[in-house]
Amino acid sequence: MKFRDGIGIAWRSLTGHRLRSALTTVGIVIGIATVIIFASFGTSVQTDIVGEFEDTAASEIIIVTGDVGLDPSSGGDGGPPPSADELGNIALPGITVHDLDQLSQIDGVRSVIPRGSIDASSVSYQNETRPQSVIATTPAALPEENFVSGGPFEQGDSGEIVLSETAANEFEGDVGVNDTVVIDYGNSKENFTVVGIISQARGGLNVFGSFSAEVYVPTDPYYREYGNTVESPSQGVEQAAYRQVTVVAEPNQVSETRDRIERYFEEESDAGQVVEEGVTVQSTAAIVDGIESVLNDVIQLVSGIGILALLVGAFGIANIMLVSVTERTKEIGIMKANGAHNREVMGLFLAESTLLGLAGAVVGIPVGLIVGFGAAAYAEVGFTVPFGWIAVATAMGITTGIVAGLYPAWRAARVDPIDALRYE
Amino acid sequence: MGTSDAETVVSLDGVRKEYDLGGTVTALDGVTLDFEPGSYSAVMGPSGSGKSTLLNLVGALDTPTDGDVVVAGRNIPTLSESERVALRGTRIGFIFQTFNLMPRLTAEENVALPLLFAEWERSRRRERARSLLDDVGLGDRIDHLPQELSGGQRQRVAIARALASDPDLILADEPTGNVDTETGEGIMRLLEDANDRGNAIILVTHERRIAEHADRIIHITDGVVEGIESIEQTTPEPLQ
Ligand SMILES: Nc1ncnc2c1ncn2[C@@H]1O[C@H](COP(=O)(O)OP(=O)(O)O)[C@@H](O)[C@H]1O
Ligand SMILES: [Mg+2]
Repeated sequence: MKFRDGIGIAWRSLTGHRLRSALTTVGIVIGIATVIIFASFGTSVQTDIVGEFEDTAASEIIIVTGDVGLDPSSGGDGGPPPSADELGNIALPGITVHDLDQLSQIDGVRSVIPRGSIDASSVSYQNETRPQSVIATTPAALPEENFVSGGPFEQGDSGEIVLSETAANEFEGDVGVNDTVVIDYGNSKENFTVVGIISQARGGLNVFGSFSAEVYVPTDPYYREYGNTVESPSQGVEQAAYRQVTVVAEPNQVSETRDRIERYFEEESDAGQVVEEGVTVQSTAAIVDGIESVLNDVIQLVSGIGILALLVGAFGIANIMLVSVTERTKEIGIMKANGAHNREVMGLFLAESTLLGLAGAVVGIPVGLIVGFGAAAYAEVGFTVPFGWIAVATAMGITTGIVAGLYPAWRAARVDPIDALRYE
Repeated sequence: MGTSDAETVVSLDGVRKEYDLGGTVTALDGVTLDFEPGSYSAVMGPSGSGKSTLLNLVGALDTPTDGDVVVAGRNIPTLSESERVALRGTRIGFIFQTFNLMPRLTAEENVALPLLFAEWERSRRRERARSLLDDVGLGDRIDHLPQELSGGQRQRVAIARALASDPDLILADEPTGNVDTETGEGIMRLLEDANDRGNAIILVTHERRIAEHADRIIHITDGVVEGIESIEQTTPEPLQ
């Protein structure tokens, strides 16, 4: 029998029992759809996060004092990365101005962004006062392209301030560029002129981007005056000291730069001597890798559930095929009397079960893509079509059909034509 | 002693067939018979005498417990399963009492079934099946399913199928058993036509009236050939 004729006959048998065939594929449809839903959703989330980091933060290296696990996949306690507040409690300020100078001279370092909080209790605009922490940082933390309006401040005693969009929106009155806000240091107050509103600053700890209410002032002079200081062991003088510094590395040598920075802190830094536990150096790329690997684990776990559904589907196919072999014993006998070889009978039944598995994939894949698309839209991430997984799912459908059909097809091939033809 | 002369299309020599179902049933007990090419033989005997068993052995659907069954020069017990399949696909046509058509295939596809397994091209299969259906008077029923045909029409489809690969030998097991007398006569005429065109026929029946269409009647009882009777075929006289 020619291959095409065989497929034609198998197809005829399946469409001869439309409802039964459709119900038989339900298990496969569910299994394949499950795999595709989570693969497409997971791939979309991954692409979204990774895409974000490729734009902005993949070349950032975060340095914090103390021994902190920043990598979600390898963090000491397995928990999420510490929030800025937690960090404030556990890490001592120790990265001195001298360290910053040294860091900026390390090969592969593009810019060094210190970040420290200032002893300020609130920020007022017109007659509205909000409790608000104030962050001292450098213009490198404020990339032009992130500004909603205005631009970055300049270092120096200029009285300039930048507000995050969230912080600006928290005030009832619309704070805008050139407006005046007042910082309350507790025992004194100071007027600042808003020079810019920024959607997102660099150098925060939150790798997903800090969208919290923050206000930024230049480190020089404000951190020097209102921040932490330690005596620099190498310089022998009192210097501003930070808990957290972000280094922007040359994009193509992030890990080498990270290694050099780590070496610096181990060998000769102030921070290494001031802070007992030293510092933790972590590239955001590694953090992204960690997130990616967690997502991969999730995709694989859920795909495992999908494979379980496929297994159930496989038993459904095997069951219906066995019923079919019994029902069609006589037909098998007729075919054999008319010159059908055992392998041809086997091939016909295998073709049927394979078509059932393939039909499961053909229906399950679009169902999975549609639901995955909906989930991605709901989670507000861009949808990515998981082409690799579509190929995998098709292969799984076909394989399930073949495996489920093997035993019934073997039984069909073994039918004795004499018994079959006597069978009424 | 395998007598595989060109003189015979089938020869059985000392054929025994036993079925083992708890006790042993001897369905055929030392049958020796020759069938010549183009001959027309009837096998007659009471129910359970071993007629179908004989036909199944000749049709390479089964193998004897003992003895030789030589069909078209090939001794069936020495053939592989696959060779037996090829033999029945190309050299033998079957007609059964219960028609045994494929229920989901049309008349045309049923007739073309042996050609499908013989790997004929679709267009050639179709052409051959249509011409055979024309010959049996079903040229207007080619797209009908078996369930849409009467018993007599089904048997005619089965006859067309048996002739499809132009076999040396047609084996008919009670072909008129499930149709009325008049329809049965029509079927017997088709078998005669086939025989006139040179196909050897072995016809199993328990009805003498049917058996008399053959050139000889082989009487079989309890698996033993009791006698062979020649039938004088009078040329049909013109109707008065
Ligand atoms: N497949 C089989 N298994 C067991 N016994 C069988 C089988 N086929 C036939 N027989 C037995 O062999 C004997 C002859 O049967 P069969 O050839 O069918 O007779 P007939 O066609 O003349 O009626 C009977 O006793 C029957 O019960
Ligand atoms: Mg019988």
